Amino acid sequence: MRLSGPAITALSAIAVFVVLLLYGPLAVAIFFSFFRLERNAVAWDSFSFDAYSTLFHNDAILDSLLTTLVVGLSAVALSLVFGTLIAFHYRNSRSRLRHVLQFVVFLPFLMPPIITGLSLLIFFRETNVQRSLLTVVIGHTVFVLAIVYQIVLTRLRALKPSLIDASLDLGASRWQTFRLVIMPNLTSAFVSAAILAFALSFDETLITLLVTGTKNTLPMWLWSSMRLGFKPDINALVTLILFFSTVLAFVAMRLFRPASRT
Amino acid sequence: MATAEATLARQDTGERVMRALLTALAYGAPLLFILVPLLLFVLQSFFYVENTDIVHRFTLANYVRFFSEATFIPIFFYTCLLSLGAALITVVLAYPVALLLASLSGRIKYALTLVFIVPLLMSYIIKIYAIRSILGGNGFLNRMLIGIGLIDQPITFLIFNLYAVMITLALILLPFTMLPIFITLDKIPRQLIDASYDLGATGWQTFRRVILPLSLSGTLVGASFTFVLGLGDFVTPQMVGGMNGLTFGRIIYSQFGFAFNWPFGAALSVILLIFVAFVLLLAGRVFMRGSATS
Repeated sequence: MRLSGPAITALSAIAVFVVLLLYGPLAVAIFFSFFRLERNAVAWDSFSFDAYSTLFHNDAILDSLLTTLVVGLSAVALSLVFGTLIAFHYRNSRSRLRHVLQFVVFLPFLMPPIITGLSLLIFFRETNVQRSLLTVVIGHTVFVLAIVYQIVLTRLRALKPSLIDASLDLGASRWQTFRLVIMPNLTSAFVSAAILAFALSFDETLITLLVTGTKNTLPMWLWSSMRLGFKPDINALVTLILFFSTVLAFVAMRLFRPASRT
Repeated sequence: MATAEATLARQDTGERVMRALLTALAYGAPLLFILVPLLLFVLQSFFYVENTDIVHRFTLANYVRFFSEATFIPIFFYTCLLSLGAALITVVLAYPVALLLASLSGRIKYALTLVFIVPLLMSYIIKIYAIRSILGGNGFLNRMLIGIGLIDQPITFLIFNLYAVMITLALILLPFTMLPIFITLDKIPRQLIDASYDLGATGWQTFRRVILPLSLSGTLVGASFTFVLGLGDFVTPQMVGGMNGLTFGRIIYSQFGFAFNWPFGAALSVILLIFVAFVLLLAGRVFMRGSATS
């Protein structure tokens, strides 16, 4: 697509504005994790890491961070197993039902999160399951399943059938073919699905709020402490999370690129 | 010979059992944790509450209450307007950016696209927090403005009202709108645009007659993403809407909190779900037609 000079200038101006809108608020949070406001002006000489040391002495935050990691990793593991299983079924089965199955898997991703959260909440109550970390893990797994499924299925489809035929012709059993030919070809799909699923789980707020028990994940902790006001150590936490999620995002994107070419 | 065949047969049954087991798992998990909860949830909307107990008996009272009480339909209506407003803001901002990205090529295209997609993976609650800490009465913007002497009292109209909710939703959901727009713009074949120029059309005419019609479907999908996500949100309205930011999502959430009327909350959500399904189906149809003609 070619654009004329003035058009590019105008569009670039809007793009810069949008970048400011998207990143400006975050930049302000990062800034105030290092500096303080004194009498309604930035105190430029107040640069310090105090907020960070306060943060690392806050057991509630560290505890919720640990909880978030445990939930995220469990949801990643579960969604990888089931997402792969369902992707294989969709690829290999001739049954009409597989379309229904695919639709069901996509539902939590299509519906507003409040619906997914509420239906799980009601489900757990009707089946007398206490809300706990387990229910949060189930909620997150259900939510990220569609992403994992889609990524694995896309890679499975890109796999050349001749590869599998060759393996079988060379005398490998179906199991050997699966283990030695198909699985290694899926590795990068697994890695990018895992990263994306983890990032989504790390951030999940709406479903978690509804199915959580007494233990807080990080977004839950943020949500409850933010209502009380702003403190520099929250800004420090925000900065650290942004740093790690950006790194994760870049790693995931790098992995995605070769995937989309095949 | 006979034993070899027996082994093969045994392997066959073993494999068949294994396969049946895996198929059962593939269906069982989503059925149990997605479909059954969803059905129970719809079912719940036909029950009612008596003395803090949920009575499992069929009634349409929850739906009747939604349509008969004067409060709910107006809230639903302005929540729709609010989400529509947020969707419009995102389209107005995202379309030009997507157009710019689609016109680029090579490394710079990839890098710039990343800049606009990375916020998708950044924490939702943190973005709300950051926006609130800027707009709030005790927030960064107010304190800076007082600091330089532009105002004496904090400006209060920036936060804790429905406009603040709309703007915050738009900022958070912007990348969701941009992505589908970018994808449809990027798919427009070069030849079509070259042909338009060769036939003597100006840049503006090419945009109006070729690019815009071909990208409408993606724009609609992007806008409906934002619309749907805005409609069901209850955290953003609570964080930046305050007392005046009552939205439909918050009403639903409160039924599961202090109001403790799960069946009524479920009925309100079913209404939301039906509406969302309708919007998505409509968007999907238009999208299909759009991609069929391109």
